[in-house]
Amino acid sequence: MILGLDVGGTQTDAVVLEDGHVRAHTKTVNRPELLETLGQSLDKTLAGIEPDKIQRMVFSTTMATNAVVMDNMDPAGMIVSAGPGMNPEWFSVGPSYHVVEGCMDHRGTEVMALDKSQVKEAIREMEKAGVNACGIVCKFSVRNPHQELQLEEWLGDQFGYKALGHRFSGSLNFPRRIATAYLNAALHKLHTKFISSLETTLTERGLNAPRYLMKPDGGTIRLDKSCEFPAQTAQSGPAASVMGALALDGCKGVTLVLDIGGTTTDMALVLDGLPLWVPNGIRIGEHRTSIRSLLTRSVGFGGDSEVRVEDGKKLSIGPMRRGEAMAFGGPMPTPTDAMITLGLMEEGDKDLARKAMEDIGAQLSLDAEKAAKMILEETTKGMTKAVIEFVKRINSRPVYTIHEVIEGIKIDPDRIVVLGAPAPIVAPMLEKAFNIPCVVPPHYQVANAVGAAAAKVTAEISLQADTQRGSMVIPEVGLESAIARDFTMAAAMEQAKEALFSRGLAVGADPGDQEFAVIEKEEFNMIRGGYRVGKNIRLKLALVPGLIPDCNCGGQQL
Amino acid sequence: MIRAKRKTGLVFFPAFDWAISPTHPEREERLLYTQDQVMEEGLLDVPGIREYRVRPAKYSDLQRVHFCVPDEPSMATESHLISAGGCLVAADAVMKKEVESAFALVRPPGHHAMKVVHGNRGFCNVNIEAVMVEYIRDVYGVKKIAIVDTDCHHGDGTQDVYWHDPNVLFISMHQDGRTLYPGSGFAEENGGANARGTTINIPLPPRTGEKGFLYALDELVMPLLEKFEPELVINSAGQDNHFDDPITHMNFSAKGYAELNARLKPDLAVLEGGYSVEKALPYVNVGIIMAMAGMDTSTVKEPGYDKHYAPQAPDITDYITNLMGTLKDQFLINPPAPHPAKNGEIITTSKRIFYDTDMINENQDERLVRCRDCAGALAIDSHSSKGNKMMGIHIPKDACPMCQKTAEKWVNEALDNKKFHHIFLQDRTKCTYEVLR
Repeated sequence: MILGLDVGGTQTDAVVLEDGHVRAHTKTVNRPELLETLGQSLDKTLAGIEPDKIQRMVFSTTMATNAVVMDNMDPAGMIVSAGPGMNPEWFSVGPSYHVVEGCMDHRGTEVMALDKSQVKEAIREMEKAGVNACGIVCKFSVRNPHQELQLEEWLGDQFGYKALGHRFSGSLNFPRRIATAYLNAALHKLHTKFISSLETTLTERGLNAPRYLMKPDGGTIRLDKSCEFPAQTAQSGPAASVMGALALDGCKGVTLVLDIGGTTTDMALVLDGLPLWVPNGIRIGEHRTSIRSLLTRSVGFGGDSEVRVEDGKKLSIGPMRRGEAMAFGGPMPTPTDAMITLGLMEEGDKDLARKAMEDIGAQLSLDAEKAAKMILEETTKGMTKAVIEFVKRINSRPVYTIHEVIEGIKIDPDRIVVLGAPAPIVAPMLEKAFNIPCVVPPHYQVANAVGAAAAKVTAEISLQADTQRGSMVIPEVGLESAIARDFTMAAAMEQAKEALFSRGLAVGADPGDQEFAVIEKEEFNMIRGGYRVGKNIRLKLALVPGLIPDCNCGGQQL
Repeated sequence: MIRAKRKTGLVFFPAFDWAISPTHPEREERLLYTQDQVMEEGLLDVPGIREYRVRPAKYSDLQRVHFCVPDEPSMATESHLISAGGCLVAADAVMKKEVESAFALVRPPGHHAMKVVHGNRGFCNVNIEAVMVEYIRDVYGVKKIAIVDTDCHHGDGTQDVYWHDPNVLFISMHQDGRTLYPGSGFAEENGGANARGTTINIPLPPRTGEKGFLYALDELVMPLLEKFEPELVINSAGQDNHFDDPITHMNFSAKGYAELNARLKPDLAVLEGGYSVEKALPYVNVGIIMAMAGMDTSTVKEPGYDKHYAPQAPDITDYITNLMGTLKDQFLINPPAPHPAKNGEIITTSKRIFYDTDMINENQDERLVRCRDCAGALAIDSHSSKGNKMMGIHIPKDACPMCQKTAEKWVNEALDNKKFHHIFLQDRTKCTYEVLR
């Protein structure tokens, strides 16, 4: 049996899967303390289940996100070397941020060495500031990590955990590398403590199976390994839902996934079972990172969105949520009240819901039913508009080759999977609006928890080889090696695969899972003075998000 | 939090799958390191900087500008259409006021492509700035536009396209034609009979440095723009004036380019040449993007700057000071007198054009109506060493009835003449292009 648990904004969903079926599912209202919430949810879900029957556990938590958003993190220092370009002071983050001289160019050639005395000064400052973790980031460190390694060595054992920029992502983006290293450093202690408490909570309940955390890229990571990459576990909720859609429905063709929550509706796209990723990285609070994430978009339309009448005639829905629907004792009319008034929902206090609709209706000179209908129409309209905008944005992403301009596939959803409590009510309305099949899979209310339970481990590596410099770098695994002048793409592919599989194993991937995707594959001849002086090879491989074998049945059994 | 002071659009199209030939300066690798630098800087994350996706231009976009012989498909490959289309995307972004300015960082370049196109000249087939200008005129109704070409090579293609157009001010700053391809761009080249003084050439000596470029900009270019009062300023932002460029001899820098851009404040910038792909382009492009966005560029400096950039030598400074004195006199103090020909008179000229990349010679005999009311009807009788004989008749956007009538007469004459393999009528008043033979 597999346990999947997803902590949301107001409640926590959990499921137990057995032989590809949902054996149990629960919803628990969140407690102020995350561990308390987890404990309650576990007890409720596992009631009557032998703990040693659980063979795998996956958690999607809000620990990292909340710490970032509430700025509850540990003080982390930063040492940064930049060289020419944007002023590195613009990316200053945390209580003790230090720019030191030193420069690496785009080929990974050291242009200016580090100055030890400046680093010593920075160390003194960080000591004064009382930091207990440190981020180390150099520009172009993914092309040559030498300076980051040098800084790590000079810092010695001071400050405990050190977050080296090149280890988190092989992508080029210095400001995002800074933010990512900072968040990892600032979250490390907190996350480690949380993991240790979680381990205790689990062990106390006799739950000893392999444990994983959900990541925003739709994949998972082994619980203990997540301490090396704590920020990678932030904002995993939307990804859990998408993976749930994949497990419950299969998502063939071009599938738009809509998860309707209380406050927001999250959208994502899945192409023949493969969810789309964001090109650069996720934004956590104010920090733009290089942490891989599924491409999801949140719009301020949910079941509990506030409904108002503006200027005496215009209906306005969302983006604020003032609390629950009036039918559940909330303060403002909501789409949920409209659904109850129209008899589409059984739950809630019908009289309160009707009163909410009468209130809106009075302002529009309509009766309660007509007002409710209008609210649902407007909500559907808003969602429809947001979906169209979302798809349009994806289709207007820049491309850099003639081939892509000419052949560029245009994404046009041919079906919609709707999740979340109001899914069965909203789906027919969306089907009418889009004129494509709208599917509500079984267990649509807990798809997020199913997704967490079913998601397999993901990993990614980047390789860059420069045969003129005679060097190859795979930053994520800290590999830098000499290569011969006749190094080829085929050889690079072998090296990259090896690195990817070993990285995958290290973060908890199934040794049998060697299915990977080529994210980027480019090869350039370097010409100087009319002659070819070398080759520039770039590769990016990934263990892409998918379902563990038990759950990979296109929703047939679940 | 950093933020662009001016909202800036970026159309980036490095054409990673296109080259003139494997070792040609116009090859796949050209913008590779620029991409690396732009990505690593995180420029596309800066609030206020927005990246746009390219779209290919249509053949009809080219027909507003060129007479392609024998036709557009044989002169413009997909890469040329996309490069030109990138400029149109940039133009839309600015004209629709989504951004205040936009930079089309695209290749292949275009400023050596002339009105008549028989092949590739100086790495160019399609004049991407001109395609953009004519698109803006047709779609957005803009009349007066200035193009400031800061590529190291004389923008002879753009000059040719706008030679007779008094509503386009074309200014080219470049390495003196006596020392560099294409060997033109002297001060005497100051516009056709109906457009005297709206073509300005500033031939700078080899080894011109930051000081010289900025001096020329401040002393001449900016006052000329002020006087012309264009609705839109376009920068043909070639980057081969850089001290590290392998095919030119100038002494400009990334910092200099950024400063030039900050002072010029173009509404639209279009990449042209620039072939120091590794040591200059990444930094120059970052500098230009940041300058367009109104960001402080004082930290943009190529790694080789301290070692390899030498401030402009005093003899060069003296030369440029003298040159600016002369040019100011010629263009600002005593602007060129109108052409003496009488209204309605037909002026004929002949010229030879060499296509260096494709090794084609072209001979042109041109007839222009001297006109005080419009840019004048134009007929180009062109034949190339490939054997193609073409008659192209151009009716300008604001053509007066007299010029329209003359053009009609020329069309009939051409149709009676068996020697032409191709006859084209480009009627800009109706925005039409007719292949008559």
